[in-house]
Amino acid sequence: MRYVLRRLAQTILVVVLVTLLTSAALRFMPNATEVLVAAKTGPGATKEQAEAVIKDLGLDKPFYVQYFSWMKDFVTGEWGNTFQTNQTIASEVKRALPISVFLMIYGQLLALSAAVPVAVWSAYRQNSRFDRMSATTAFGMLSLPNYIVAPVLMLLFSVQRRWVPYPSIYSGLWDDPVAHLKAFVLPSITIALPLFAGYMRLLRADMIGTLQSEFITTARAKGVSTRNILFRHALRPSLFSLVTATAVNVGALMGGVVIVEQFFLLNGMGRLTVESIFRREFPTVQYCVAILALIYVSINLFVDMIYAWIDPRVRAGRALG
Amino acid sequence: MSDIEIVEDDVSLIVPIIDEAGSPKVRVRRRGRVTKWLAIGWLTFIVVSAIGANSLPYINHSCDQFESKLDCSTALNGSLKKIELPPTWAFFADPPKEPVGGGATHVGIMGTDRNGYDIFARAMLGARPSLTIAGLAITFGLAIATILGMIAGYFRGWVDVLIENITNVLLAFPALLLVIFCVTFFTDNTQSAASARPLWPIILALVIVSIPPLTRLVRANTISYAQRDFVVAARSLGAKGSRIMFKEILPNIVPALVSFALTGLALLIVAEGALAFLGLSVEAPTPTWGKMISAGTERLRNDVWWISLMPALTMFLTVLSINLLGDVLSQRFNTREAIA
Repeated sequence: MRYVLRRLAQTILVVVLVTLLTSAALRFMPNATEVLVAAKTGPGATKEQAEAVIKDLGLDKPFYVQYFSWMKDFVTGEWGNTFQTNQTIASEVKRALPISVFLMIYGQLLALSAAVPVAVWSAYRQNSRFDRMSATTAFGMLSLPNYIVAPVLMLLFSVQRRWVPYPSIYSGLWDDPVAHLKAFVLPSITIALPLFAGYMRLLRADMIGTLQSEFITTARAKGVSTRNILFRHALRPSLFSLVTATAVNVGALMGGVVIVEQFFLLNGMGRLTVESIFRREFPTVQYCVAILALIYVSINLFVDMIYAWIDPRVRAGRALG
Repeated sequence: MSDIEIVEDDVSLIVPIIDEAGSPKVRVRRRGRVTKWLAIGWLTFIVVSAIGANSLPYINHSCDQFESKLDCSTALNGSLKKIELPPTWAFFADPPKEPVGGGATHVGIMGTDRNGYDIFARAMLGARPSLTIAGLAITFGLAIATILGMIAGYFRGWVDVLIENITNVLLAFPALLLVIFCVTFFTDNTQSAASARPLWPIILALVIVSIPPLTRLVRANTISYAQRDFVVAARSLGAKGSRIMFKEILPNIVPALVSFALTGLALLIVAEGALAFLGLSVEAPTPTWGKMISAGTERLRNDVWWISLMPALTMFLTVLSINLLGDVLSQRFNTREAIA
């Protein structure tokens, strides 16, 4: 319990630090005020307009006041409007977030469901033909950036065969499941390829280590079937790196697949944030980063909690200190 | 790519090598050697052509080579006939338009782009920014990460918590966003000539994003050795923390570090390409792989694939070769360790 509380405090600290860092960076950027005013009013603003903007955004106040009032707004949900579309930032985020979540989930599911069986079998039959082939494939995939995969997939499945529309048109999962999946299939595959390769290699390596432990020999000596040894005895203690990587990627994929979102014209969180950076809409950037950071750290916290479930040794270690 | 065989990967060095002796290994080594030399060959080729890109025997790869704009446009007009021609080997591809005034319908080993530039020559020119930026960034990033990661992984306690929190803060920003953010932060407001965008903000941004994941990896590696018998033995003999870290643990994680360095280099080349893809890397006259790929995607819908996919192939082979070498190197270290 003390461990949980400590991790919780750590998590909150990280969020505070991230938002503080973002605010500070945006505030103390060279010419921050002028850039912001120009972004809000367009070029050639009059002095009165500029002063109004400065007052409106609270740029005349000291930094810590600005930060605390921002924090208050963030917590209470009064995020204000975007500069360009003049919609609330909250509604923009609400529109973008599901797209990112879907993309992340589909990508992860595809990658994990392929990686786990392949890795387990590769580790079990180390240096077999299957192992070498999967290693080679994974190797190739790791060297393929998503901005190469995406155009190739688009060329093959949207241009040469018109199976899925390009650009992807987002529709809700329950509104039109077919269109929904069509919109997400190519982006998800693009995201899943390198994930699959990474996961496969991580799990395979850990699995090979585990399979040489004494408890596996014991299990084998007891006559446990291969499948049970692999999936019951060996998989769990081998999951450490895989779980960490998966968790790290949840956060990374939420905002980090800008290129895929951009290429398939899906308006996810990554695209929203980047476009806001490009348009110098710093308030929007701040909220986006805060949300992404919040998601990232909560998932990390969650994963730390399940470590104990995965590996009893961790629980014992924590109990000791 | 089917002939590339990777048998061991970097992490398998945790496993003792003893059980891998025997005849299969000999076969494996020979195959590994062939791919290794292919990789080295390709990288040498890229580096040499990147250095000598301006004197490649192809026309109009860049206006850099011309004294004046007029020369450039004259030369361009001369090559206008050669717009968007597929590579010579691509017999199955047709140019979108018949070349003006007849002539060959297929040109060069990578074809030509919308301006009639030779794509191969531009791809070689584009290797320069990519390799320079990624190479510098990974050097700095790994040096810092190794120190941080070993301290965190060996001493644990409050240092570990501190370093973990710092990496957590940095990791909580999605990497690409952080890079974009850094690049905008450091370049945006200078407002100097667009062509003079300095390299260092990009490098700095890439160093910043590479530190947290590398630190984590080094830390994890250190931890996996910190409780081993030989470390415990050294400690019980009264060895100091720094001695254990540098004499006992560091030699064991060096193979991992080398493979991280090469993987990191590959990743950073990709990241630099991503920046270029978003228009944030070096400015206009210099081509980069990312920019070439992204510029070509507009024409994909008309089935004009070579403009985008040929630079993509160049980049893929480069990244693949670096990754391969990382693998081979870690095997080499592994073997030596086993002999000693």
